[in-house]
Amino acid sequence: MQPEKYKYLIIGGGVAGTTAAETLRQNDKKSRIGIVSDEPHLFYSRIMLSKPNFFLGKIPFDQIWLRKAEWYEKNKIELVSGNLATKLDTSTKTITLSNSQILQYEKLLLATGGEARSWPLPGALKAGICYVRDLDQAKELIENVKTAKQAIAIGSGFVSFEMCEMMRMAGLDVTLIMREPYFWYPLLDEESAKMIEKGLEDGGVKILSQSEVIEIKGENKIEGVTLKNGNQIPCQLALIGIGLVCNLDWLKNAGVEINKGIVANEYLETNLPDVYTAGDVAEFNDLVLGENVQLGNWVNAQMQGRTAGTNMQGEHKPFRMVSFYTAIGFGLNIAMSGDVRLKPNSKVIKRGSPEINSFARIIVDEKDEIIGATFINRTQDMSPINKLIESNFKVSGHESELSDINFDLKQLLPK
Amino acid sequence: MANVKEYARNKEGSNIGKIVVDRDLCIGAASCLAVSGETWELDNENKAVITGAGAGANAVDDATLLMSAESCPTKAILLFDKEGKQVFPK
Repeated sequence: MQPEKYKYLIIGGGVAGTTAAETLRQNDKKSRIGIVSDEPHLFYSRIMLSKPNFFLGKIPFDQIWLRKAEWYEKNKIELVSGNLATKLDTSTKTITLSNSQILQYEKLLLATGGEARSWPLPGALKAGICYVRDLDQAKELIENVKTAKQAIAIGSGFVSFEMCEMMRMAGLDVTLIMREPYFWYPLLDEESAKMIEKGLEDGGVKILSQSEVIEIKGENKIEGVTLKNGNQIPCQLALIGIGLVCNLDWLKNAGVEINKGIVANEYLETNLPDVYTAGDVAEFNDLVLGENVQLGNWVNAQMQGRTAGTNMQGEHKPFRMVSFYTAIGFGLNIAMSGDVRLKPNSKVIKRGSPEINSFARIIVDEKDEIIGATFINRTQDMSPINKLIESNFKVSGHESELSDINFDLKQLLPK
Repeated sequence: MANVKEYARNKEGSNIGKIVVDRDLCIGAASCLAVSGETWELDNENKAVITGAGAGANAVDDATLLMSAESCPTKAILLFDKEGKQVFPK
């Protein structure tokens, strides 16, 4: 069987892959472009999956589709959906799919994203144990929310935060179980975390910190859990939000350099010629942070898709962006920008306070430059702070302005 | 659409006459900012608004503006042509 030949082949139909295809088509009207996706769906909004309004039907379900079938047709982007890539052979420049089909590429983009980390406990396959990484998982969760009365959420991060709100809005009793001493440890400080925990508790969520489930009860369906301290919690639904893993087994013999993700330089080129990577799977040289990082976030994936698409067409454009995450729930707007990990020499400038329910922390490194920030109900500061991070703004002499919530940060931006 | 913000665009040569943000749909993901920081910022409710109290509506060309609207994961940004016809999302 002759392989199908593509000029540009993209593995992964999410935001990185689809944006790359779009970028490629904008600049090259003729060449053949293909996207392989293991999900049997068109490009949809993964970010919407964790939003309560979507779950509770307040946003029409169809709002989730970000590209229609006509878009693929009109742009001549061939979507091979419901198929997993199982082998990469760089000597023949081919990809083998789970249906044995072979596709040949001139330029390849690996934008396979990640999947929700499985709950590493015996019995974790029981019904009622849910994840919210892809559309089919979200549908399963929607069904379970309809019948459950009591739910637990596992993990302290964006997913469990947003899902706690959804489950409370749906009228469930919700207990959040986390190993950490406080929410979002160690990315957040305790002061900010307490604001979030207060939001959760005021919203009716019971929080069990430094707690761990050791046993899942129930025959085929979850009926409860036992904690390490012996306590038992009845539940008909468990929402698991304990991070992301990338399935890279299929690439092990392909010669692509792999760490936790696929290793790339700042141009999103892998160690192999004509093979690029973008999105959640890419472990790339972040020029802003000055180190190799892997980020699981929509905007990063989208912007990387664009850079990868451009570079696959022969440009040599570095990817440079101050990465950020945002989340909303329980009346709180939460965001983190840049590098929020505190180092021994880091200095923190506080802006606002937990008392006024509006609190940002600006993190300054030993070079007197802002490298990151966290924002609770202060997301209006994110855009100027990101620009200050990007422009290597020197902080000395501006501490009082940065800490004064009545001072407009935009005044510090380079003109 | 009850909770919307509308902005007039009168950039010369542009086909887009109006930009609308559906604040009920906007979740502050800030992808629009990443595409066009000249046009978009977040307000104190974590919703996307046009910079400079609306002046940013004319900051970028049509292609970039469209790209920023297309980037929204909840399709909260709507674009209309000079005749008032919705051009995005289609």
